[in-house]
Amino acid sequence: MGDRAALEGWKPKFAEWVEAAKPFMAEGKAKKAFAIYPWFSGEGDPFARLARPASETRFGLVTTGGYSIEGEQEPFSPFPSFDDTPPRIHAVPVDVDRSKLRIDHAGYDHRFAEEDINCNLPLDRLREMEAAGEIGSIAPETQVVMGLQPNVVPLIESLIPELVARFKSDSVEAALLVPS
Amino acid sequence: MSLISRGLEEAGIPSVIVSVMEPLSSPSRPPRQLIRKLNIGATLGRPGDADTQRETLRRMVALLSSADAPGAVDRDA
Repeated sequence: MGDRAALEGWKPKFAEWVEAAKPFMAEGKAKKAFAIYPWFSGEGDPFARLARPASETRFGLVTTGGYSIEGEQEPFSPFPSFDDTPPRIHAVPVDVDRSKLRIDHAGYDHRFAEEDINCNLPLDRLREMEAAGEIGSIAPETQVVMGLQPNVVPLIESLIPELVARFKSDSVEAALLVPS
Repeated sequence: MSLISRGLEEAGIPSVIVSVMEPLSSPSRPPRQLIRKLNIGATLGRPGDADTQRETLRRMVALLSSADAPGAVDRDA
């Protein structure tokens, strides 16, 4: 995989950045820390095409909204992760009981999504588009991942393969990605 | 999210990202990007604004269909 192949060259740059960023992070100056962040640059530019019209395609959705289902999923840590711990993915069914959803994410103001979940997890809009025949179907579960992951190693080595496996298992043919 | 997009494409699943923070989404070269002048946390549209939310999703789907090379961008005027 192109991005996996580029990881070894990136790891020392990231380690150097973690040391340089520590004093900024300790003072809560995240902007200063990320101003010197070594952006990961993968090899090549992968590109896949829709196999059929959108109206016949099964869609999956990924959001970084920080959602978890109370009593079923451990809440996300709302702060950036720097270590190699594999990031968790929360499957949130399209027909989830919304009263059980909580948001843990320090990177955005939750008020919009708490007022209307469709701001970053568009459960109603996607079901409407499915009913109208604009998209073929929506996978029964949306996938929620944590944003704020400066260490891309576990993202590329663990999270992405797991997402791919879930989408293949749900017969997802195209993905809509909604960051927060 | 841009790296997730690339990883999905690598596995044969076409994808599209909506971005309201181009300086964060562009450095990793996502295959398809809809760049909108909307708010962080209301990436698809503000609360109760179903029209904007729907427009954002429709433009994402359209970009999936129309893009013919990696690096495709649809951008708010």
